[in-house]
Amino acid sequence: MKPLLSKITTPFLLYVLIVLGVSVPVYYFVIDGIWKSELDEHNEIIVKKTTYELNRLQLSEERLQASIALWNSIQPETNIQKVKPGDLLKDSVYTIEKPQRFVEPKTIDRFRCLSSVIQINGAPYRFTVQTNIEESVETIAAIAATTLFFFAILVVGLLILSRKISIRLWKPFRDTVEKLKAFNLNSQQQINFQQTDTIEFQELNQSLSKLLEKNVAVYRSQKEFTENASHELQTPLAILKNKLDILLQDPDLSDEQYQLIEDMHKALSRSTRINRNLLLLAKIDNSQFDHSERISMDTLVSQSIEVMQEHLEQKHLLLLQEIQPAVLLTGNSSLTEILINNLLLNAIRYSNTGDTIAVHLNQTSLAVHNAGSTALDKALLFKRFSKLSKNSQGSGLGLAIIIEIARYQGWTVDYHFENNQHIFSIHF
Amino acid sequence: MNKIDKPLRNKFYISTKLKFYLYYMKILIIEDELELAKSIATYLSEQQYLCEFAPTLQDAQDKIQLYQYDCILLDIGLPDGNGLKLLEELKNQRKQDGVIIISAKNALDDKIHGLQLGADDYLTKPFHLSELTARIYSLIRRKQFNSSNIVVQNEIQIDLLAKNVIVNDLPVVLTKKEFDLLMFFIGNKNKVISKSTLAEHLSGDIADMLDNHDFVYAHVKNLKKKLQDAGSQSYIKTVYGTGYKWEN
Repeated sequence: MKPLLSKITTPFLLYVLIVLGVSVPVYYFVIDGIWKSELDEHNEIIVKKTTYELNRLQLSEERLQASIALWNSIQPETNIQKVKPGDLLKDSVYTIEKPQRFVEPKTIDRFRCLSSVIQINGAPYRFTVQTNIEESVETIAAIAATTLFFFAILVVGLLILSRKISIRLWKPFRDTVEKLKAFNLNSQQQINFQQTDTIEFQELNQSLSKLLEKNVAVYRSQKEFTENASHELQTPLAILKNKLDILLQDPDLSDEQYQLIEDMHKALSRSTRINRNLLLLAKIDNSQFDHSERISMDTLVSQSIEVMQEHLEQKHLLLLQEIQPAVLLTGNSSLTEILINNLLLNAIRYSNTGDTIAVHLNQTSLAVHNAGSTALDKALLFKRFSKLSKNSQGSGLGLAIIIEIARYQGWTVDYHFENNQHIFSIHF
Repeated sequence: MNKIDKPLRNKFYISTKLKFYLYYMKILIIEDELELAKSIATYLSEQQYLCEFAPTLQDAQDKIQLYQYDCILLDIGLPDGNGLKLLEELKNQRKQDGVIIISAKNALDDKIHGLQLGADDYLTKPFHLSELTARIYSLIRRKQFNSSNIVVQNEIQIDLLAKNVIVNDLPVVLTKKEFDLLMFFIGNKNKVISKSTLAEHLSGDIADMLDNHDFVYAHVKNLKKKLQDAGSQSYIKTVYGTGYKWEN
């Protein structure tokens, strides 16, 4: 995964590099061509001017020869000679390379030459001019260096610019992403996206707003449905329970019939419990509890332990408690009570007769330990209705309630298995 | 007066009116769910209670203006309004009727709000009829005998305020649970009460989560033993193997 910026910049820079790379030979040929045509012109001017001047002097043949000889000896880059026999009397333009003769160290110079036939005093002469021209290697090197320099400036500039622009340009997008990350369906709050003048982002925000609005509405109605359904179920359950109570009073009841009624009572209690727990979960989800109360955790834990005392005794369980005083937290006392009761009851329920249960409370956490043989599957543990033990009367919602209450109050729940002990801990 | 009201009223009212009118306690059941109201009335009628019905808020308002009740059972969710309104009216009319809210809502706010408005007790649906009866019994005792509230059951004397029990003039020391249990039995005389009902009464909401209700057996056994040791008759009978009944 790479950020968008580098995904755009890399191919862009590659393209620039290729274009600039191709431009080096092109520049060379263009510049070389200009050089050559300029020098050709220059050579021609020299030839014409020299011819004109020599003719204007109207020297005698002798003096002319002496002058030409002098000319040739002091003007090494030009040469005037009588046309040799067999010369086709044609002008020619060419480039030669020869070593420098006068400067150390010896380097090779490149010359642009013009060999032209001129008429002095009516006789044909071959006039050769050689003008120094920049060597190709040097031209290419200079152009490449310049190109490289500009490429560097381009890269640096592009990077700085694109970074700066992208920070400004993508700001509304990042804002949207941050808001989406922080969005919690449970909080039932609509997101207000930042206003932006970029069409694409505006469209994105509008679509997201619509989507979220719909989701929140669906979620809310689903929640309300759960709550209403559980609520409506209470009444038929109440009727069933009461009718059974009345049936129980029938004087003609046999022992078997009584047992049947008790069994029905039990099943009914279980459905009532599941229903109540679902209702509780729905209410927590719907944020129907005040979680800004000051609660004294140590008092609540001690109270719960006291309530559980007889159930502990009945199973001959030993309870070790290590409770720090004055653990003051913010939350909902009724929910916290349910949370502690559920934790303790869980430990009691899954302990064997004679086991030991340990409760530790300090300023940062509450932990309940109970003996066990194998670790529980963490993935299944906190899932609603996933029962890990087959012969239990549990509603399958106990741990889900613990989690929801903890989450609601901003706490976290953890489970681990250590030294043959199940340890459930709540971190405040 | 509405349709469902009359036959029931006749059944429970007329037959008893002649004989024990003064002795009977009047209960108003404000509940829109006919079957629930009928069940409550059936259960209560076997004891010294006389039940009347009001399935709507309007009916209830009419009734409380005309009559005085020993106890009003009030459902909050009525078809024509919130039952809590009635509490306000009772308060405004300075009526002393005891009120037990019976609601499908377990919401704490409702509970606290209801009790603040003057309700005496709050019971969440679904509940056992024996639980309701025990609460009605305590409420009426509380309302009627403020200063010296002593229940006499042959040789047993129970002081509801001090929570003392005296058998044959000798004090019997009971734990809180045992006292609770005794009051539950006294409020449900001659009724069969199952073990699970007692478990729910004794441990409240957490009974839901307990797999094993054997602790009830221990409490009942202790209570029986303490009463008998003090010389009381054995009123608590075991029926059908696991149920109990206070026979008098």
